[in-house]
Amino acid sequence: MGTFGFDWLSVALVLGGVLLLYYVVPMVSLFLSVPTGEILGRMTDPTVVDSARTSLLSASISTVVATLFGLPLAYWLARTDGAVTKVVLAVVVLPLVLPPTVGGIVLLTVFGPGSPLGEAAIAAGIELTRSLVGVVLAQTFVASPFVVVTAKAAFQSVDRTLEYASRSLGKSRWTTARHVTLPLAGPGILAGVTLAFARAIGEFGATMMLAYYPRTMPVQIWVAFIELGLDNAYPVAILLVLIAATALVVLNTVASNPWE
Amino acid sequence: MTLELSRLRKAYSRFDFGPVDLTVDDEVLAVLGPSGSGKTTLLSLIAGITGPDSGSILLGERELVGSPLEDRHVGMVFQEGALFPHMTARENIEYAATADERADELATLLELAGVLDRKPPTLSGGERQRVALARTLVTDPDVLLLDEPLSSLDAPIRKRLRDELHGLFESLDIPILYVTHDQRTAMALGDRIAIVRDGDLEQVGSPSTVLTRPTSRFVARFTGTENLFRGTVIDRTADGATVRLGDLRLQTTASDVSTSTVTVCIHPSRVAIEAPYTAGGDRTATTVTGTVVRWLNEGSEYRIDIETESGSITLTANVRPPTFERLALENDSEVQLRIPRESIHLIPERE
Repeated sequence: MGTFGFDWLSVALVLGGVLLLYYVVPMVSLFLSVPTGEILGRMTDPTVVDSARTSLLSASISTVVATLFGLPLAYWLARTDGAVTKVVLAVVVLPLVLPPTVGGIVLLTVFGPGSPLGEAAIAAGIELTRSLVGVVLAQTFVASPFVVVTAKAAFQSVDRTLEYASRSLGKSRWTTARHVTLPLAGPGILAGVTLAFARAIGEFGATMMLAYYPRTMPVQIWVAFIELGLDNAYPVAILLVLIAATALVVLNTVASNPWE
Repeated sequence: MTLELSRLRKAYSRFDFGPVDLTVDDEVLAVLGPSGSGKTTLLSLIAGITGPDSGSILLGERELVGSPLEDRHVGMVFQEGALFPHMTARENIEYAATADERADELATLLELAGVLDRKPPTLSGGERQRVALARTLVTDPDVLLLDEPLSSLDAPIRKRLRDELHGLFESLDIPILYVTHDQRTAMALGDRIAIVRDGDLEQVGSPSTVLTRPTSRFVARFTGTENLFRGTVIDRTADGATVRLGDLRLQTTASDVSTSTVTVCIHPSRVAIEAPYTAGGDRTATTVTGTVVRWLNEGSEYRIDIETESGSITLTANVRPPTFERLALENDSEVQLRIPRESIHLIPERE
């Protein structure tokens, strides 16, 4: 066996290498598939600019909403254990494992035009679907678990003794959270926020179901691809790749990369 | 101010704390016990990190139970210091300070001038504890709790900081509870010592009482008494009881022993070794003859095991190196032991 033995290390390296190429080659190929000048020209196309504006705006709002609602929950999850905590965590993770289109359907049953909530909102002059609100609802649903799960880990990494120490010095819970817990959990929370933003900006499935208009970048890619062919989908795709790359840079610099 | 715990109780799934009754005046109470005995629980209850199931904690006139920890004015120095790692030493102290002058004063007192602008991870263990102490004292607490502040330090630094703490504690007129598992630290710093075992206070008393008059085998062992033997009281007079131990008859000054079975307890430092058959000496001491069977150099003193003539018991004695050398002790040396009567302590045994 030994004489004809495989060099397992080489095999492992080849396998890993092939996988890496599988990631990198399509990216490079995307940038090479259209001449740079032409891409820059199409970037100023109103549909591209509009979708970029919609996406950036909605993803920003979704991220803020997710952070606002997610941090207290993350803190609670980090500082409690027991059966209830496990159930709550499972609920939080649910949107992560649910297929986004199913997420969209679930949301439609609550916010759709036919639902009581949807009707009430329309009566009040707010459209919960086919509107920026709809986009935000869809994005928040799929992206907020990233804030909760990542921030939970970040809070857990802060030694409770430090909080007790702060409070034993006469500082309130709020002062302690602001000056001790949040700064120490900061990089981890920022990682969660970045991941949520990246997920929100790439959201397609649930958004399609809830708000086809106004078009976000992923929806615009889909429309351009269906109506005008692959070439026309490139500019927005490249924009999205650049945004994703920026998120990676943030993760590897100011934030603490949860996957490292 | 007086800190008064009454019927304080806290049940955990695998451990019950209390009920504990304890009064601490403006003094240093060293809380001594093995790990897991409930020392830290005691501090957590007073600080307000944990709430008791029942009982009360009075600080002066103020009931602490039910009040959140930030309102208690109870200062706590945590085991590893619990300094905020993202703040410099100065920022740690200023975070707690209500008046800047006090911060400066404490920094000088605790010799922190050189390290104020450094962050905790770059400080040595001793420096960290000094900063933690300054950070707590700057709040002018009504009670000071310290949870094994020296346990993670190297021996020389520990000894130095212990001496410094001794001086510092004397200048503070508040109840101080100092938790440690180290008997020497407890003896050195405590005005009184409380021995904790399995969530209960086993004995509270002055260092010398706890050392020479332990109320249980546990306390005796924990404070370093190795000579523990089961004996029988054979005679009681006004001067004290006579106890039989193997073939020895020991005259003691113990007059309040109710049971006939007792644990005879002799601290090794109270056993004097003399060359055989020395005449004269202390007439009120008990003399025992025996042979050295083992000796060990423990640095500042020698630990010597002596088997009594009949071989029925083995006594341990601690002697200083000069004595050891003068007597030229070695294995099989014949020696005479002299034990002051009042150093033979009897612990009643339940029959």
